[in-house]
Amino acid sequence: MSKSGSADLVYILGDALRSLRENVGTTILTSFTLAFSLAIFSLFVFVIMNLNGVVEGWGEKTQIIVYVKDASVGQADSLKQALGRLPGVKSAEYISKEKALAELKDELKGHEGILDGVDANPLPASFEVRVRDEFNQPERIAELAGRIKALEWAEDVQYSREWVEKLSAFIKFIQLAAIAMGVFLGAATLFIISNTIRLAVYARKDEIEIMKLVGASDMYVKVPFVLEGLIQGLFGGLLAMCILAVGRYAVLSEIPAYLRFAVEMPFSTVLFLAFLTGAGMLMGVAGSLISMNRFLKV
Amino acid sequence: MIQMFHVSKSYEGGVPALVDVTLKIPKGDFLFITGPSGAGKSTLLKIMFGSEAPTEGQIILDGRNYVRIPSAELPELRRRIGFVFQDFKLLPNKTVFENVALSLKVMGVAPSDVKRRVARMLSYVKLQHRANFKPLQLSGGEQQRVAIARALVKDPAIILADEPTGNLDPALSIQIIELFREVSSRGTTVVVATHDKMLIEKYARRTVALEGGRLIG
Ligand SMILES: Nc1ncnc2c1ncn2[C@@H]1O[C@H](COP(=O)(O)OP(=O)(O)O)[C@@H](O)[C@H]1O
Ligand SMILES: [Mg+2]
Repeated sequence: MSKSGSADLVYILGDALRSLRENVGTTILTSFTLAFSLAIFSLFVFVIMNLNGVVEGWGEKTQIIVYVKDASVGQADSLKQALGRLPGVKSAEYISKEKALAELKDELKGHEGILDGVDANPLPASFEVRVRDEFNQPERIAELAGRIKALEWAEDVQYSREWVEKLSAFIKFIQLAAIAMGVFLGAATLFIISNTIRLAVYARKDEIEIMKLVGASDMYVKVPFVLEGLIQGLFGGLLAMCILAVGRYAVLSEIPAYLRFAVEMPFSTVLFLAFLTGAGMLMGVAGSLISMNRFLKV
Repeated sequence: MIQMFHVSKSYEGGVPALVDVTLKIPKGDFLFITGPSGAGKSTLLKIMFGSEAPTEGQIILDGRNYVRIPSAELPELRRRIGFVFQDFKLLPNKTVFENVALSLKVMGVAPSDVKRRVARMLSYVKLQHRANFKPLQLSGGEQQRVAIARALVKDPAIILADEPTGNLDPALSIQIIELFREVSSRGTTVVVATHDKMLIEKYARRTVALEGGRLIG
C-alpha cells in the first residue's frame, strides 16, 4: 500500500485546479449571477446614500436668522462671538447691510430699476445661525431662538418651526423607507446568490458522494469548492464593478445635471472593490460549504 | 478480519433488512454471500463499509469494536476497502482512466505511480483500449469492469463486491472471480455478494446464505 493518511495540501490543490478547469462553465455563470446581484444591490446603496447626503444637507442650511439693530452694527465681531458662546450654536455667518443689499440686487437681476430712488440702505444686517445636530429638534430650536431674541442687540429672530418639524419627520421617513427596501433587496440578493450556488453544488452531488465512497477526506472534497467560491467571488466582484461603471456611463447623459449626484460613488473605488470582492468570496465559499455539507455524509 | 455480532438493520419505515447476523470473516478469506434479491446482501456489505449504520449489534474491524464507525475514520477505512458497487457509481463526465485513478488520488498517490498502476489495472480487466472513453460510451459489462478496476487498483486489504458479475457473460464472470481469487491468495479478504447460481456451484469453497435478512447456513 502506498502513502496513506491525508494527502498533503499541495497535492489536493493540484487536483482542485483540475476540477476547477472542468467546471469553468458553472463558475462563469455563478460569477455573473453574483456580479449582477451585487451590482443591483450596490446601485441601490449608492442612490440611497447620495440622497441621504442631500436630505441631511437640507438640515445643515441656516436654521435661525437674527436681524441686528442698526445701532449695534459696528460691533459685528463681538456679537458673533457672543452668539457662538450660546449652547447649540454651531456657527454664525455675518451678513452686513451692504452684503444684504448686494444679494438683493443679485436676485433682482434685470429688474434693478425697482431699487432706483432708494437712497439709504433699508436692509438690516443679520447673522445666519446654524444649529448643532443635537439641537436640530423643534423644541430645542424654539428655545435657542428665544434666547437669541432676548439679546438686547437683536432686532428680530426668524426661523420656521414648521419647516424644521416637517424636515425632521421627512428625513426619518426617507431613512426608514431606505432601510426597509435595503433589507428587502439584501434578502433577495442573498436568496438569489445562495440558490445559484446551491444548484451548482447539487449538480455535483453524485461526484461528492462517489469521492467520499472511494475514501476522499472531507477536505479533499471541499478544497475545489472553496477555490471555486473564491474565484467566483473575485470575478463576481470585479464584474459588478464593471457593470456599475458601464451602467453609470450609459445613463449619465440621460440624467439631468442636477440629478447626477445620485449615481456618484460615495466611497473610494479601491475600498468598494475590496468590499465587493470580499463579500462575493465570502458568499461563494460559505454558500458552497453549507450547501455541500449534507452530501458529505455518506 | 471482519466480525459482526448480532447485527440488525431496519431502514426507516421498511421491513428489517438484516436480523441478528453474526459472522466472522478471517483475513485472506474468500466468501460468497448468496441469497435472492432483497435478502439483505447489499445491506450487509454497506454496514462493513460504513455507508450504512446497523440499528443493533456491533462490527469488529482489525480488532476495533464499532457500534457505529465514526465519520472521521471513514476515509481511512475506505482506503483499505475496495468496494464494487452494484450500480457501479462511476463519474459520467470523467474518463475510464480518471475514474479508476480517483481512488488512488484521494489517497495522495504520486501522479506517476497513479499512471502506472491504473494502466496495469486496466489491462488486467482488459479495458486498456477504453482508457479515454467516458462510462456512458461503454457497455454494462465494461462499466462493471471499470468499477472492479477502481476497487482493485489500490491493493486494498479488503474487497467487498456487490454483484460484480451481474452484467458479465459467464466466461468473463469466471475471469473476474479468478482475479479476485488471485488477490485473495496474496492475503486480501474478499467478500462477494451474488445470486449467480453458476458461480456459487463452481466456487462452493465457502458460501453464506441470506434470506429475509437472516443467515441460513
Ligand atoms: N435505502 C433503503 N431504504 C429502505 N429500504 C431499503 C434500502 N435499501 C434496501 N432496502 C430494503 O432492505 C431489504 C434488503 O435490501 P438489500 O440489502 O439491497 O438486498 P439485496 O442486496 O440482497 O437484494 C430490501 O427489502 C430492500 O427493499
Ligand atoms: Mg443488492
